Amino acid sequence: MSLMLLEYALIFMVIAIIPCIYRIIKGPTIPDRVVALDAMTTVIVVMLGIYSFVKGSVFFMDVALVIAIITFIGTVTVAKYLDEGVVF
Amino acid sequence: MKRYIAYSALLGLVWCFVHGTISVNNFLLGAIIASLIIRPFRSMLNFDMEFHAGNALKKIPAQLTYLFVLIKEIIKANIIVAKIVLQPKINIKPGIIAVPIRTKTDLGITAIANTITLTPGTLTIDVSDDKSILYVHTIDATDPEGVARSIKDDLEKYVLEAFE
Amino acid sequence: MILETLSNVVLIIGLFFVFLAMLGLARLPDVYNRLHTTTKIGTLGAFGVMLSILLKVGFSPMGVKALTVALFILVTSPVAAHMISRAAHRHGVGLCKESVIDEYGRACSAACPEPEEE
Repeated sequence: MSLMLLEYALIFMVIAIIPCIYRIIKGPTIPDRVVALDAMTTVIVVMLGIYSFVKGSVFFMDVALVIAIITFIGTVTVAKYLDEGVVF
Repeated sequence: MKRYIAYSALLGLVWCFVHGTISVNNFLLGAIIASLIIRPFRSMLNFDMEFHAGNALKKIPAQLTYLFVLIKEIIKANIIVAKIVLQPKINIKPGIIAVPIRTKTDLGITAIANTITLTPGTLTIDVSDDKSILYVHTIDATDPEGVARSIKDDLEKYVLEAFE
Repeated sequence: MILETLSNVVLIIGLFFVFLAMLGLARLPDVYNRLHTTTKIGTLGAFGVMLSILLKVGFSPMGVKALTVALFILVTSPVAAHMISRAAHRHGVGLCKESVIDEYGRACSAACPEPEEE
């Protein structure tokens, strides 16, 4: 029963990505798109966590952690670029 | 020197969590690698400052109270924003207001800014140059004094006790 | 058994909150209001899902790593929101037309009035 619930959860998360893609394509300004990408990565991290439990493998959790770190650094970098015009 | 050892132990604990198994061997390995890694950043982390383990331990009850208040406020914030999102027609009056704060240290300002972002209807945008005013975007800006008062009474008291 | 039921309840609450965050991202009017939903509701949703995995597997390597991911998202999400909102305001993204007050813009233009004159 629990496994079935988790597989439906994966489908539900794929549906949750659709508003993000709408916002990435349509978003009037650059910060809108950055926020949408950040939110989409949250969904992907959640999906990787559930998939790791369904497959019984620890390594997808490592992938989730690395994606979370890289998204944080990417968001801060784009914010600094928009703010000051240079990154470093 | 004490501060150096404390940072190494903290990073060793982080290594244990990232590796997935919490054991003494793992912790020692992480602490040794961390002490090598933070050695080039000596000037940035000012290790020469005094570090009293007694002071750090004395603050733990206040920090647990702060954590409890934080969890309660996060759940309240989620219910408020979820109600706004689920309305059939969105009817909000947002705005950016200035909130004076009493906290002075960098750690305290970071803590209160992150706490404000995670609590109902408010989002920190910037801190002024003299570190005395936070600019806060709020989702219901019809009563700026009320928002500032609620931040001062509900949150800042616990942050001051836990991190000053 | 009771642990599994609790874990399933937390999982469903977390998934619902993540979906709600994405819905708010599509519905609300400007950048700052969208940041409200993705920072608060998205963070709690991801935290709930990871907590449910921790409840399902206990303190095995997978559970500890799930806890690490959840704590990392909880710590870094407000910092990212602060950076991107400040960058948006300085980049010139205005507030939506329902807004009633903007003290930050007033303070900025009082500090450096040159862009206002041109």
